[in-house]
Amino acid sequence: MIRPDAELLLDISDLHASVEDQPILKGVNLQVRAGEIHAVMGRNGSGKSTLSKVLAGHPAYRVTGGSVRYRGDDLLTLEPEQRARLGVFLGFQYPVEIPGVSNLEFLRVSTNARRETQGQEELDTFDFEDHVRERLKVVQMDPAFLDRSVNQGFSGGEKKRNEILQMALLEPVVSILDETDSGLDIDALRIVASGVNQLSSPETASILITHYQRLLDEITPDYVHVMAAGRILRTGGRELALELEQIGYDWVDEQLAAEGVV
Amino acid sequence: MVNTVLTPVQKRGQANLERLGLPTRRQEAWRLTDLKRLEAMASLPSVEGSAQHAWPSIHQGVTRFVIGTGVDPLEGVQLPEGVSPLSEAELEQALGHTLDRCGCAETWPVELNHARSQRVLALRVRGSVAPLEIVLAAGGGLVATRVLLLLEEKAELDLFQVIPAERESAAAPLAHSHVIEVHLGQEARLRHGVLASASDDSSLLAHLAVEQEPRSSYDFVSVCRGWRFGRLEPRVLQVDGQATTRLTGLAMTGTDEQFATHTSVCFEGPEGSLDQLQKAVAADRSHSIFNGAIQVPRAAQRTDASQLSRNLLLSNRARVDAKPELEIVADDVRCAHGATVSQLQQDQLFYLRSRGVAADEAAALLLKGYCCDVVDRLPSMAPSWLASAAINDPARPL
Amino acid sequence: MTSTSTRDLVSQPYKYGFVTEIETDKIAKGLSEDVVRLISEKKAEPDFLLQFRLKAFRHWLTLEEPDWAALGYPPIDYQDIVYYAAPKQQEKKASLDEVDPKLLETFDKLGIPLSEQKRLSNVAVDAVFDSVSIATTYKEKLAEHGVVFCSFSEAVKEHPDLIERYLGTVVASNDNYFAALNSAVFSDGSFVFIPKGVECPMELSTYFRINSGDTGQFERTLIVAEEGASVSYLEGCTAPMFDTNQLHAAVVELVALDDASIKYSTVQNWYAGDENGVGGIYNFVTKRGQCRGARSRISWTQVETGSAITWKYPSCVLQGADSVGEFYSVALTNNRQQADTGTKMVHVGPRTRSTIVSKGISAGHSSNSYRGLVQIGPGASGARNYSQCDSMLIGDQAGANTYPYIRSQQPDSAVEHEASTCRISEDQLFYLQSRGIGFEEAVSMMVSGFCRDVFNQLPMEFAAEADKLLALKLEGSVG
Repeated sequence: MIRPDAELLLDISDLHASVEDQPILKGVNLQVRAGEIHAVMGRNGSGKSTLSKVLAGHPAYRVTGGSVRYRGDDLLTLEPEQRARLGVFLGFQYPVEIPGVSNLEFLRVSTNARRETQGQEELDTFDFEDHVRERLKVVQMDPAFLDRSVNQGFSGGEKKRNEILQMALLEPVVSILDETDSGLDIDALRIVASGVNQLSSPETASILITHYQRLLDEITPDYVHVMAAGRILRTGGRELALELEQIGYDWVDEQLAAEGVV
Repeated sequence: MVNTVLTPVQKRGQANLERLGLPTRRQEAWRLTDLKRLEAMASLPSVEGSAQHAWPSIHQGVTRFVIGTGVDPLEGVQLPEGVSPLSEAELEQALGHTLDRCGCAETWPVELNHARSQRVLALRVRGSVAPLEIVLAAGGGLVATRVLLLLEEKAELDLFQVIPAERESAAAPLAHSHVIEVHLGQEARLRHGVLASASDDSSLLAHLAVEQEPRSSYDFVSVCRGWRFGRLEPRVLQVDGQATTRLTGLAMTGTDEQFATHTSVCFEGPEGSLDQLQKAVAADRSHSIFNGAIQVPRAAQRTDASQLSRNLLLSNRARVDAKPELEIVADDVRCAHGATVSQLQQDQLFYLRSRGVAADEAAALLLKGYCCDVVDRLPSMAPSWLASAAINDPARPL
Repeated sequence: MTSTSTRDLVSQPYKYGFVTEIETDKIAKGLSEDVVRLISEKKAEPDFLLQFRLKAFRHWLTLEEPDWAALGYPPIDYQDIVYYAAPKQQEKKASLDEVDPKLLETFDKLGIPLSEQKRLSNVAVDAVFDSVSIATTYKEKLAEHGVVFCSFSEAVKEHPDLIERYLGTVVASNDNYFAALNSAVFSDGSFVFIPKGVECPMELSTYFRINSGDTGQFERTLIVAEEGASVSYLEGCTAPMFDTNQLHAAVVELVALDDASIKYSTVQNWYAGDENGVGGIYNFVTKRGQCRGARSRISWTQVETGSAITWKYPSCVLQGADSVGEFYSVALTNNRQQADTGTKMVHVGPRTRSTIVSKGISAGHSSNSYRGLVQIGPGASGARNYSQCDSMLIGDQAGANTYPYIRSQQPDSAVEHEASTCRISEDQLFYLQSRGIGFEEAVSMMVSGFCRDVFNQLPMEFAAEADKLLALKLEGSVG
C-alpha cells in the first residue's frame, strides 16, 4: 500500500559497508514508508544479504559510509538488541541453532524485552504460554517446538516458520526477511507467506529479500528493487519482478559495464 | 648393500636404549603394557627374514618391495614412473626428520628400531604414480625394517604394507620392529593401508610418523590381528593445518594376545581436519588397548576433528582399555569424540537366529559386518592377501 | 564485535573475600606426629581415632605428592601450614544464642543465616568455620526422625560406634597422598546418619568457611544411609581473599546400604586467586561413595567455580547389584584457574548403572580438564554406563582437555561415551541480540543452557544460585 504521506520508517542513504575489509555495499539508497512492501532482488553476491545484516547490526559488517535513519533516528549507532527492541526485525536466511537454550524461554525473554521498550507490561510464564500458543496459529506450528532448543534439529521449513513466529511475537515495525523462501517447498512457502501477510498492517513495512518470483506470487510487493555490485540498480513496481523472471539478470552486466563499474 | 647412513644411527640407538632402559609401568604410555613380552621381544636376536611362497602374486601395475630380507629391496625391482630412490646424501638429510617433528625420535620402540635396522627403503614420489606394495619379510627372531617416503607437492600414491608373520619353524618366536616416516608435500595425497596379521608367538612394534603440509591428504587404514604382543603407533603432524587426515583402524585380539593402538594427531595450524574411527574386537583372554591423543593448540583455529572408538568385547575374560586424550586450546574448533564398549547386539543376533541362522554363524556374520567398514577400506591389493594362505586364518577369517 | 565488549567491563569482585576479625585458637605451624597427637588431644578423641590418625600419618610420610594431574603449581611446604585453628569459644554452644555474634554475622554476610528467625526453611545447616563446626540448625527436628546431623567432632563423642564402624571404609586412610594427610590431621566436618527406612525430611547442608590465611582446611564428611533411607545433602564453600594459597584437602565418604539413596551436591566457590593467579585455594579433595547395598543410589552433583587449583574426582563404587551411580558436574575456570576434575565409576556388581554428565567451561588463561574412568569389572554383567563430556571454550587462551578412560572386562555390558567441544559463536550471540536480548544476558542464557542438564540436578533452592554464580564468574571474559 503506497501512501506518499505515510511515515518514513527507514531512510537508507548512500550506505557503504564492508566485511573483512572487502567493500560489499557501495552506495545503497532506499526509503521505506509505513504500509509498504519492498522486494529486493538480485543475484548471489549482489549485496542483498549484507544489506539485511547491516540493518540488523551484525558485528562482522562494518559501515564505512552513508546513513540509515529509522523513524528519524540514527539506526547504525544502536546495538543489535536495541534495534530489535525498537521494532527492526531480521528474518535470517540461516537461523542459528543454539543448543541448550529452550525455544520457549528464548521467545519469552525476547518478547518481554520488546514489550518493555513499548511500555507494555511483561508477560509472566503462564500468560506468555497463552500468548505464544495463540501466535503459533499464524504459522501453523506444533506447540512441541516450544520445548526444544532454539532451532536445534529443526528442518529448514521449521526454522523459517520459527522465524515468522518470532516476527509474530515481536510485532516489528520494519521486517527484513532474508531469503525466507529459500529451501521451502510450496506448502511451507504458503504458510510462511500467509504468516507475513497476516502480520502486515498500514503501520508497518516489510523488505523481502529474494531470488525468486514465487514468494512474490504470495506476497504482493509495492516496489521491486534490483541490487547489483552493492547498490540498487533499478527500481520498479511488481511488474519488474515478472519481467526479471522473463529476462533474467544478464542485462545487469551490460548496464554495469556501461556505467564502468565492472 | 647396507646403508652407511645408518651406522651412526645404530650407535646412537644402542646408547639411547641403554640409557632409557626398558619402559616401566610408571610411564603413562606403558602403564597397561605387558612389559614381560616387550622384554622378551627385545631380547630376540636380529635376523633376516625371507620371502614366502604363500604370498599372492603381484597385481598388474603394482610394484612390490620386500624388505627385511638382507637383500637390497630395490634389487630386481623396476621402479614405476615418478618413484626414485633417495641418494645417500638426500637420505642423510631427510632421515629422522619427521620422527623428530612428530616427537617420537627418542621413544623406546623407535630407538629399538634405530639400534637394530640395517637398511632403509627410501623413496621419493613425484606426480601421480602406480600403487606400491611393501611386504615385511619375517624370520625366526627380530626383523627390523625402516622406510622413508617423501611425497612431493601434488604427488599421489596408494601404498599397501603387508606384515605377515609366517615362520619356518613354529617354535621360534618372531618379531617385527618397523618404522616408517612419511612426508607429504602440499596437496600430496597418500592412501596408506597396513595389513598386519600373525599367529602364535609373534610380536609387532610399528611406528608411523607422518608430516602433512597444507592441503595434503593422508588416509590411513590399518587392520591388525593375531599378534601375541603388538603395538601400532601412528603419529600425524599437520605442520600448518589445512590438511585432511583420516585414520581408520581395526585391531582384533584372541587367546592371550595384547594389542595396543596409540594414535596421536597434532594440528599446528588452522583449518585441519581429522576423521578417526578405531575399532577393536577382543576375544578369549585377550587385552585390547586404544590410546588416542588429539592436540589442538591455539594456532589451530577452525580445526574439525572427530574420533570414535568402538570396542567389541566377546568374552568375559577379555579386557578393553580405551583412552581418548583431547587437548584443546583453540576456541573456534569442532572436536567431537566418542567411545563405546559392548558385545554383539543381542537383538541383531536374535533377529538372525529367528531367521534360521545358527548362533555361531550369526555371530560370525555380525562380526564380519562389524569389521567390514575397516577391512573394505584397505587398498585394492588387500583382498588377494586376505585370501592367501599367508594371511588367511581359517579359524578367524576377516 | 559489538561495542559492548564484556572484556571491558570490570570483573565482578569476589564478594565473599572479607576476613572476620576473631580470636582463634591456633596451634603452631608444621606437621609432625606430635601435631597429630595434639589435634586428637584437643578434641579429646577416643583411642581408635588417634590410632587411625597415626597410621595415616605414618603412611603419608612414605608417599610422594602426586604430579600426574595436568596441573602446575609451586611445591607446597607442608611445614608452613597451620593444621588446627578454631574460633575461641570454649565449647560448642547448646543454643545458637550463645554463639559469638561475630560468627553469626559472618554467616549472615555469606547468605547463610543461622539464627532461628532467618533460617532457610527446610534446609538444615552445619556451619564450619576454619577447623570447627560452630552451629547446626534444626538438629532437634531431625532427631525426631532419628536422623543424626552434627559436626564430626560431636559425632565422635556421641556416636563413636558409628564412626568406628564406617570411618575410612570407603576412602582408606592410605588411599592417596591427600587422603592420608586428611586422615592424619582432619579437624572437623559433618556427619550424617539416616536410619533404616527414613526419608530425611529436609535438605541437609554444610557451609565451609576458611577464615585464617595460613590455615589448611582438612574436613571430613561421612554420610551413612541405612537400608531404604534417603537424603539430599549440599555443601557450599567460600574463603577470604589472601595473596597466599591455602590448602583444602577434604575427604568425603558416603555409604549407601540396600535401597538407600544419597544425593550429594556441591557449590564450590573458594577464592580463586586474582586475575594474575595470585592467591586462592588449592582444592585437593577425595570424595567417594560406596553403593554397598542392592538397588542403592549415589548421585554427585558439583558446581565448581572457585579455587586456584581443583583436583577432585567424586567417585562411586557400585558394589550392590542394580546400584546406580551418577555424576553431574559443571566446572568453570577463568583467569589463571586450573581444574582437573571428573569421576570414577567402578562397576563391581551385576546390572549396575552409571551416568556421567560433565560440562567444562574454560575462559581467560585457565585450564580445565575432565579426567574420568569407567571401569566394568568381570562381575558386572549387565552393567551400563553413559558418559557425556562437553567443553565450552571462551577466548583462545583457555584450554580444555578431556581424558575419558574406559576399562571393561565384561562383555555383557555397554559403555558409551560422547564428547563435544563448542564455543559461544558470534552468530549465535548476534541471533539472540537481534531478537532484543542483551549481550550479557545472551551469554548467560547460552552458558546456562550449556549447563542445564547439571543444574536440573541441584536442589531447587540452589539451582538459581548456581546460575547466577556462573554469570558472575564469567563477567568480563566474553568479548
